[in-house]
Amino acid sequence: MFCTLQDLGRIGHQDSGIPFGGAMDKEAHKIANELLDNPHSTPTLEMTLVGAEIHFEGNGQIAISGADMNAELNGQPAPMYQSIDIKDGDRLVFHQSKLGCRTYLAAKGEWQGKEWLKSFSAVANLMNVEGVPGMLKPGDIIEIHTTHFIPLRNYPLSLRPIYSSCYIVRVITGPEFEQFEIDQVQSFFDTIFKVSPDSNRMGYRLEGSIEHYEPKGEEISSGIVEGTIQVTNLGEPIILMADAQTTGGYPRIANVVSEDLSIVAQMKAGDEVKFMLVSLSDL
Amino acid sequence: MKIQPFGDKALLVTFEKKIDPEINQQVISLYHTLKASGKFTFLTPAYCSLTVGIDRTQYAISEATELINDLASHPLTNQVAYVRNITIPVCYEDEFAPDLDEVAQTTGLTKQEVIEKHSSTEFRVYMLGFVAGFAYMGTLPDELVCSRKKTPRKSVPKGAVGLAGHQTGIYPVNAPGGWQIIGQTPVDMFDTRREEPNLLFPGDKVKLRAISRDEFKLIAIKQETGIYSMEATHG
Repeated sequence: MFCTLQDLGRIGHQDSGIPFGGAMDKEAHKIANELLDNPHSTPTLEMTLVGAEIHFEGNGQIAISGADMNAELNGQPAPMYQSIDIKDGDRLVFHQSKLGCRTYLAAKGEWQGKEWLKSFSAVANLMNVEGVPGMLKPGDIIEIHTTHFIPLRNYPLSLRPIYSSCYIVRVITGPEFEQFEIDQVQSFFDTIFKVSPDSNRMGYRLEGSIEHYEPKGEEISSGIVEGTIQVTNLGEPIILMADAQTTGGYPRIANVVSEDLSIVAQMKAGDEVKFMLVSLSDL
Repeated sequence: MKIQPFGDKALLVTFEKKIDPEINQQVISLYHTLKASGKFTFLTPAYCSLTVGIDRTQYAISEATELINDLASHPLTNQVAYVRNITIPVCYEDEFAPDLDEVAQTTGLTKQEVIEKHSSTEFRVYMLGFVAGFAYMGTLPDELVCSRKKTPRKSVPKGAVGLAGHQTGIYPVNAPGGWQIIGQTPVDMFDTRREEPNLLFPGDKVKLRAISRDEFKLIAIKQETGIYSMEATHG
């Protein structure tokens, strides 16, 4: 089980080498909070592939978004994408996600706990560093202060994301795009890549490589943003995500458009992905 | 200076593609100027580029480009205040230097010569990256240049001092890594208890001072009890 608290991360600290961080699927994170009238900066519980079992003490309100982990509240199916009342003693159990990778659990109110640089987010490569929020463990208690409740509501069915196991992701050209030969670019856009099991909050490694790729000497390290696609020396693309390092030394062929980052965040090992080039002016 | 879109929420400002103190200083100057303006969501300075985060609800890409050009033509004048000279104590004794033998062999120097050259060079912090607080420092003298380890270590201890190519760096936290480890500092490069967790910043000038095992222990104790003070001056 890989379960962390996530919010909108630590934008503005990249000059110190600190990753952007925050929820991988920021869209799902925001929707869950909106269903409870929480600010977007309120943390949610981010669960990857397999969910947690949660016992509630006291009354509250929650909302679930992202991948469907067949959540059950006291043994009954718990609906997604709507606010739900919670009573003292309730038990919420998440199972495995079949489609999609990450599930978000929001709760109405003010979350208490360890913050670092004004964020509750755990950071992939600072997992056991003093002062930085880490991975949640069985038995952990999260305290949430709820001062008022809101009328329950639904997120429109037509706006809810649908996950599959093959995706088309929109990209715009990256800073080193022009260094690639035309047939390499073609191969990048023609190939259906497969998500490697070696993918995590730092990045998605893709199986499948750009044909006839030869690295053009060593790149001088330069900045990374969320969604940057680097090409390793073997010609394999890596999509850099929320917890990626702030700089990298591989050529940046393309960048996932911000709106599609939430789709990428829901890809899991074995899923297929193809890239589609769009122009920045179309966005 | 060239400005180009980088994703849909950032711009990449690039200077001449070269690892060079003067070019890096242009990056750092622009970084301070843009940071002081408070108009950007984030800034990532690197060797010869600066990534600038744009709030798209405020600026179109073209407006942001213009804004950077404008600000760049009126740079901050008190840049010298940012130059810091910092000395970091490093123990090069065997238990802290698992790759010193390999480096000596590759470079054809004795271990003592490697230590002397490494601790007598003044380094410049070019950028931070890799993990929070990891400072990429250069330039390593040609005689010390060696390639990364063929198989990276799963865990390099916090404080380890490594070499890779013309660069040297200190691991701020335990992390996987492929740099050649030739020493270790007892000083916390990254500490979340400090208001500013990072010790080093781009543009800093750094010297490494060879210390004994005993001094390593003493400094470690001083740090734990909060009485250690950095060996730093502002230039």
